[in-house]
Amino acid sequence: MSDLAALRADFEQSLVQARTAADLKAVRDRFLGRKTGLVTAVLKSLGSASPDERRVLGAAVNALKSDIEIQLAAREQAADAETFVSGVDVTMPGRVPAAGRRHPLTQVRERIEDIFAGMGYQILEGPELEDDWHNFEALNMPAEHPARDMQDTLYLSSPMPADDAGRRASLLRTHTSGMQIRYMEAHRPPVRLIAPGRVYRRDNFDATHTPMFTQVEGLVVDEGISLGDLKGTLQAFADRFFEATVKTRLRPSFFPYTEPSAELDVECQGCNGRGCPLCKHTGWIEVLGCGMVHPAVFEAVGYDSERYTGFAFGVGIERLALRLYGVDDIRMFYENDLRFLEQLAP
Amino acid sequence: MKLPIAWMRDFIDLPDGPETVAGRLASCGFAVDGIDGDVVDFDVTANRPDALSVYGLAREASAAFDQTLRAPRLAPDASGQAPLRVSIADAGCGRYALAVADVQVGPSPAWLADRLVAAGVRPINNIVDITNYVMVEMGQPMHAFDVARLAGPELHVRRARQAERLTTLDGIERTLDDAMLVIADRDRAVAVAGVMGGTSSEVSSATTRVAFESAWFLPATVRATGRRLGLKTEASARFERGADINAPVAALRRALALLTELGVGTLVGGISDVHPRAVEARVLTLRRRRLTAVLGSVLPDADVERLLSRLEFSIARSDDGWRVTVPSFRVDVSREIDLIEEVSRHWGLDRIPATFPALASVPRTSAPGVARGRLVRRTLCGAGVQEAVTFTFIDAAAAAPYLNGDAVTITNPLSEKFSVLRPSITASLYESLVYNRNRQAADVCPFETGSIFSATRGERQAVGWVLTGDRGSHWSGNAGPIAFTDTRGLAELVADALGTTITVSPADDLPWLVRGERAEVLIGARRAGWIGRLAHTTAVESPVYAGELELDALSEATAGSVRSMRSLPRFPAAVRDLSLLIDERLPAADVRGTIRSSAPSTLVAVREFDRYQGKGVPDGQVSLSIRLTFRHPDRTLTDAEVQQAVDATVDALARAHNAVLRGR
Repeated sequence: MSDLAALRADFEQSLVQARTAADLKAVRDRFLGRKTGLVTAVLKSLGSASPDERRVLGAAVNALKSDIEIQLAAREQAADAETFVSGVDVTMPGRVPAAGRRHPLTQVRERIEDIFAGMGYQILEGPELEDDWHNFEALNMPAEHPARDMQDTLYLSSPMPADDAGRRASLLRTHTSGMQIRYMEAHRPPVRLIAPGRVYRRDNFDATHTPMFTQVEGLVVDEGISLGDLKGTLQAFADRFFEATVKTRLRPSFFPYTEPSAELDVECQGCNGRGCPLCKHTGWIEVLGCGMVHPAVFEAVGYDSERYTGFAFGVGIERLALRLYGVDDIRMFYENDLRFLEQLAP
Repeated sequence: MKLPIAWMRDFIDLPDGPETVAGRLASCGFAVDGIDGDVVDFDVTANRPDALSVYGLAREASAAFDQTLRAPRLAPDASGQAPLRVSIADAGCGRYALAVADVQVGPSPAWLADRLVAAGVRPINNIVDITNYVMVEMGQPMHAFDVARLAGPELHVRRARQAERLTTLDGIERTLDDAMLVIADRDRAVAVAGVMGGTSSEVSSATTRVAFESAWFLPATVRATGRRLGLKTEASARFERGADINAPVAALRRALALLTELGVGTLVGGISDVHPRAVEARVLTLRRRRLTAVLGSVLPDADVERLLSRLEFSIARSDDGWRVTVPSFRVDVSREIDLIEEVSRHWGLDRIPATFPALASVPRTSAPGVARGRLVRRTLCGAGVQEAVTFTFIDAAAAAPYLNGDAVTITNPLSEKFSVLRPSITASLYESLVYNRNRQAADVCPFETGSIFSATRGERQAVGWVLTGDRGSHWSGNAGPIAFTDTRGLAELVADALGTTITVSPADDLPWLVRGERAEVLIGARRAGWIGRLAHTTAVESPVYAGELELDALSEATAGSVRSMRSLPRFPAAVRDLSLLIDERLPAADVRGTIRSSAPSTLVAVREFDRYQGKGVPDGQVSLSIRLTFRHPDRTLTDAEVQQAVDATVDALARAHNAVLRGR
């Protein structure tokens, strides 16, 4: 008799779990199936029982069988009624309004913009066709400066018409740093800006280089701005960008327009600094170049380099996007394969 | 720069293990590109030619590890006259030291050859190897001439003669010009100064007497010469960045010491040292206050002094800081900020506490294009169009249909594929569309915001899109193929998002679009873009519709980002539908215009809701259904008033266009 109680409990459990008409059919087959049904099997076994047993057990089994029939029928009827009452099959796929997605480089760019906007930075835009003064000369890279070799430049076949200051754009900007100059020429301190945009180098075209890429320039100028402020700002940026408290380090480096110059590394998020292929087993990932604005840059724009100090930084958006999305080939960002773009919502 | 650490140990006591040395120097600004056994590959930045040597990096290590530096062993001072006369006839050479030696040319001993190999230099023979060894060790490039193969006992530093010829050591015969500096014997050029020697005086196994050159050349001269020849060497890399003008004689004495040590030669005569003008050491002021201001941290005087001394700066205290004499090898140090960098680099950037700059005034507003770009992108994404980012440069053929002789081209493109700056975003987007079509994507609708370029109109901001395939397929019914109306709809949507209204008018000056399905987009009378069906889309079997709007033209037509509200109507509207039979060539815009001009002011909306040709409509005609909405601001219109207005409209349409009401 306890077997029957267990069987009843098993059935009730199965019925609760059944969701669809197919589920109900499976429950029916399992308990009442003509050949393999569990209740059917018990009924068949009565033949070998003694007459007394047969009478007592028979009544109990038949009661169970009829309970199961009633409960199943009720559920089956309800399911039928729901499905067919209005002719709507709720299991068919929904009509999803078409939605495009922002390109991953846009997502990262806007993420960076939002972080700095939240820290009181204004966001500026500038021309991609640039003149020699803004791209090089004013940034402490006069003609023949060896640093010009660091950035193999794409030049226009003929310069554009002169602007209001009589300058003629002659090249594709190699960095967004020209925006520092453009802004400081027109405004007095304090300065607190970022300038995102496309930049161009006559570089290899491979898994880690494209001739066009995207940067976000940052510039802060005021009285009393120090390297400590640069560190604190970049740490805040890294924490917010990676949504974690990330370990960072500054490595001294060289850029003509900042001094001291440095590169910011963040601890590899893929291996927590233990070393992995993503970070080339160094435990660190290079994120951006930065430094204190070189006094020669202030002098080029007519700022008093004794009174004002400042810091600048340049973030490579592709490099951050590679890390953020786990992409291993930078060219994917420019192939615009829908199967790639649609993965990286929103 | 590949640095065998064992070589560095000649000059300084270091902790065990190349990793320790590599790690410490990396934190001082010498990034490590790799470690191979005992050899560390340092990435020396362009401003530090002094660190392109074993001794130069040992000097850095001396500050990093606070260890004493031991100078290389030099031959005794032998200043005097070499048996070879030297003259300098050009300002491109600031110093020329020369020593002549009788030598036995042969292979180098293994230890020396091994060190060169470890440093990435191919051993050649003991004499050439000694010059390379000194360059790697001290950073001073040297050259050895076979004296017997020089014409006359003389060397001249002069400009090359126009079209003068010289076969350089790499076996290439080069044609020189008078912008290049050469070393010449009595008759002709024998070396390109600071770049590469010539084969005519190359040291060989037959050589018995050599002249060692150790000179200083002007960086700009070497760079110009190297660039004109398309030639970059270990020597020119160092001279271009700036060699130490005081190093030439010491380097010669180092070479002579090695000659003696290997027992393969002896000095003949003295060491000539020709320098047109003396160079005075730079003395800079380093203010304690300035150091603190830039770093945001107070550094102890003793540390400042210790670090600068280790780097071989001479320092003297002054009232507010120090007077610092810059060693001649530090060509990168010319002002106070350079000294601050030196100190911070070795003090450790990680030891400077992080602070956050105070925001002392109201942040300034962002450029209007930033919010505008975001709005446009979100609007189009919301409309089911996918954002793409493509290269700004495209190939000439893709650009050609859009151009009118006003291409902006790149003079040194990476390849022909990247030679023209796009005159339209749709040109590069079409490439993306084809790419996706070739990968089995049926419905492809990308857009992009960014710059477009023309020589006459310059760089402008635009949004462009290309559309092909279906509007969307679903089991409940297909919305049908993308058509002209879809590209027009996106133009209207973007304009509306930016707070302006467009009109669309056929235009015949859009040759990249199919005739009959091309139109300009106007704001007032000004062209703000175009829409239509792309011509030349052989790579795609379904029609491709496209559009582009110039964002400045749109936003200049907008008063601002905030719109003020109009009161909601208080009285009900009366709606009447007209189905008109009109000539199929009559633009709907004309019909609308007639309705607008003939109807009373109570007509508040005109909307086309059907356009039909086929059964029941005579050939050459079209049935255009229009919904008219009438409303009076102050009262409910009567049926009679509405009917009167409709009748007037129908009459006007009949007069103007021979329009007939259908079913009448």
